[in-house]
Amino acid sequence: MSRFAAPKTSPVSKRDPRVGGGGGPDGELHNSMRGMSLRAPMPTNTGNAEVCPVCKSSRYLNSSLRFLVNPECYHKMCESCVDRIFSHGPAQCPIPGCRRTLRKHRFREQTFEDIQVEREVDIRKKVQAVFNKREEEFESLRDYNDYLNDVEDITFNLVNQIDVEETNRRFEAYQKVNEKEIEENAQLAQQEKLSFTAMQKAERHQARERREAARREEDDERREVEENKRDALNRLASGADPETVAKEGQQVQLKKRMDRQAATERQRQLQAASDGRNGSSNFIVKGLKSRQKVEPEAPIDPFGGLRISSKYFTLQDDYIWEGIQDTKKDVKHVAGGYDVRDYTQRSLCAAFSGLGVFIADEISERDRAAQNSAAIGTIRADIGLKDSLMADAV
Amino acid sequence: MTQTLTEDDLYRASTQFRLWSFSPESLAVLRQKTHELARERGRQYGSENNDADGMADHLSKEEELQLVQRYCEQIRTTSDHFKWPVQVKATAVQYLRRFYLSNSVRTYPPKEVYKTVLFLACKTEATHMALPEYARRISTAPEVILAPEYKIMQALRFTLDVRQPYRGLKGVLMEMLNMAQGMVGQVEGVETKGAKQLQQDMLLLEQPGHHDRTPWKAPSSGKMEVKHITDRINAAYSAAKALLDGPALLTDVYFLYTSSQILLAALHLADEPLTSFYLNTKLPLTSDLRPRILGTIAACADILQTFSTDQILTKEGRDGLEARLEKCRDPATRDLVKAHAAAKRGSESDEEEKIRKRKAAREKHEREGDDFFGPSIGGKKG
Repeated sequence: MSRFAAPKTSPVSKRDPRVGGGGGPDGELHNSMRGMSLRAPMPTNTGNAEVCPVCKSSRYLNSSLRFLVNPECYHKMCESCVDRIFSHGPAQCPIPGCRRTLRKHRFREQTFEDIQVEREVDIRKKVQAVFNKREEEFESLRDYNDYLNDVEDITFNLVNQIDVEETNRRFEAYQKVNEKEIEENAQLAQQEKLSFTAMQKAERHQARERREAARREEDDERREVEENKRDALNRLASGADPETVAKEGQQVQLKKRMDRQAATERQRQLQAASDGRNGSSNFIVKGLKSRQKVEPEAPIDPFGGLRISSKYFTLQDDYIWEGIQDTKKDVKHVAGGYDVRDYTQRSLCAAFSGLGVFIADEISERDRAAQNSAAIGTIRADIGLKDSLMADAV
Repeated sequence: MTQTLTEDDLYRASTQFRLWSFSPESLAVLRQKTHELARERGRQYGSENNDADGMADHLSKEEELQLVQRYCEQIRTTSDHFKWPVQVKATAVQYLRRFYLSNSVRTYPPKEVYKTVLFLACKTEATHMALPEYARRISTAPEVILAPEYKIMQALRFTLDVRQPYRGLKGVLMEMLNMAQGMVGQVEGVETKGAKQLQQDMLLLEQPGHHDRTPWKAPSSGKMEVKHITDRINAAYSAAKALLDGPALLTDVYFLYTSSQILLAALHLADEPLTSFYLNTKLPLTSDLRPRILGTIAACADILQTFSTDQILTKEGRDGLEARLEKCRDPATRDLVKAHAAAKRGSESDEEEKIRKRKAAREKHEREGDDFFGPSIGGKKG
C-alpha cells in the first residue's frame, strides 16, 4: 500500500507511483509515453484525479471508479463513498473542514476539469435562468448592453464571493418582480430548442436524400453505358458498318449525356429554388424570432365604440304606471328574464328622439347643399347616419 | 373611438328623417312635380284616346289631396273595424301618404290601393292576418289585394319603418306619473329644485285653459292632492292620444315634424300648463335650443288645432271625384291584377323562352368551338 501513498491535493504533477522509481534517464520519456497509453486515463496536472479523498481508493484497484461532485461545496468523492455515506439521508460532507449538509441526489459527474470552472458555470446557469431577457425586448442596443452589464456584475459578485448577501437579495428581488416574464421567456426558449432540433433533423434528411439521388444517377449512367456497348455489339454482329456504328454509338452516347445533364440541371435548379425558400426561411427562424407580446384580447364590443346617451331623460328604475307594474309581476314575462326597463327605456327614448331636430331647417340646408355640388363635401356628417349603425331605437 | 349618440342622433339615422321629412316648401314642390308629371302623361293618353273632355277635366292638386285624405280616413275606420292596434292605423295612413307623394291618383286610384296598404301595414306592425281571411273580411279578391303591393313598396322606396309617437307618449305618461309621486330622474343641465319640490309645484299648477282638450276638471274642494294630479295626467294622456289618432294622421305633420315634437304638441293641446311644466324639467333654461323647440311644438300644435273633421270629404264628394277620375285616369294601369300576374310570370311564354334558351346555348357552344380549334373548315365543326 505504500506504493499508493500519493498526496491528495497536490497541484504539481507527479510521476506515476505505479512505475515506482524506475526509469532513470528515460524517466520523462517514459512518462510521456505512459501518458499516451490507452489503458488508463492520464493523470492531470492537478494530480488528484485518481484517488478518492475520502476513502483513498484509487482507480488502480477499482477500474470503474467514478468521481461525483456535489454543487454545494464542490468536493468530489467516489461513487461508493457517496452511496455509503448519503444513502441514509442527508449527512455532513466528509471532507474535514467542510460542514455542509449534502444530499445524495445532488451529486453528479464533473463536466469540467477545473472545479472552479464547474462552479462558475453552475452559478452562471442559475443566473441565466432568472435573468433571461432577450435583445428584442429592449428599446435600444445600449439598454440591452446595460442590462447585460448588470447581469454580469451580479454573476461576478457571486462567483468571486463579493457582497454575496446583497447580491443575493437583488437577485431574489428581481426574480420576484419578473416571475411572469421569466416564465414566458423560458417557455419560448424551450419551444425554440424543439423547433431547432426538428429543423436539424429535416436538414439531415434532405442531405441523405440528395446523396441517394446522386447514387441513383451514377447507377443509371453506368447502365446506359453498358446498354450502348451491347447495342453497338449487336449492330456489329448483324453486319453493319463498324465505323458508322461507332460514330452513331458516340452520338447516341453524347446525346444521352447531354439530356441527362440538362435533366439534372433542371432538377438542381428546382431543388435550389425550393431549398432557397426553405433555406431562407430556415435562416430566418434560426436567426431572429420576432416576438410580439401577446396582448390580452379586449372584450368584444358589440356596438363598435358607439354609445347612446340620453340627453333629455334619466331612466329611473321603477315607474308607477300600472301598465308596467302588472307586467313586472306577471310570471309569463319575468320568468324568461325580461326586464321592464327595456320597455321604459325605449319609450322614453322615443318620446324625445327628434325633439331637437328642426326638420325645416335641416332639410332646406341639405337640399341647398345637394344643389350646390361643390359643397357636397361639407354636408353635415350626422345627416344621413347610416341606418345600419343602429338598431331601431324606437 | 367612442362616439356618443343622443336621441336626436338616433332620429337622424332613421329613414323617416332621411327620406320622408320635408320642409313645407319642399313638400309642396314635390307634390307639384308629381301632379305635373301625371298631367303630362294625361295629355299623352288623352290625345291617344281622342277624348274630347279628357283634357279639360283634370283633378286639381287640392282635390287630389282631399281624395287621399278621405282614403286615409277610410283606412282608419277599416283598421278600427278589424280592431287592430293604433300603430297599424298610423303606419297604413303614412304609407298611403308617402305613396301619393311620388304617384298620382290618376295612375293609381286610392280605391284600389288602400286595402293593400292596410294589409302591408298589418304585416309590418306584427299583427299579420292571413290573406284569405283578410280578403274575406274586407270582401275583396286576394289577387286584387296583392296586385299593387310591389308598386307600393317601390313608391315607399322599401323603407317600411314609420316612427310613431304613441310609445313616446306612454313614456311621457310614465315620467309624469312618477313626478307626481315625487320620484324624478334628473336631467343634465336642468335646474330643478328636487323631486319633492317638483311634486309640490305640480300640485300648485294652474288649471287647464279653455282651449285645452283635456276632459279633466279641478276638484270642487279646491285642494289638490296627488291622486287629482294623477287623474289629470291620465286625462291629458287620453286627450293627447285621441289627437294623435285623428288630426295627426289626417294632416301632413308626419312629414313636417318629428314624432317627438308631434306628441308633445298633442300634449300641449291637451293640457297646456302641465306640458309646459314638464318641458321645463327637460330643457335647460339657458340653452338656445329651448325657444326653437318650444316654437316648433307650438307650430305643430297649431296645425293640429286648425284641423277639423269637416275638412274631410264626404261620401258624396268622394264619389263625385271618383267619377271624374274614372274619365281621366291612366289606361295603362287600369288592370293591376293582370299587370301583377304578368310581372310574376315573366314577359314571354314558356315555349318561347325554351326556344330562346336553346338557341343561345347552341350559339355559345359554336363560339367556344371556334375559339379553341379555329374557324370550322367547309362548314363542318372542327
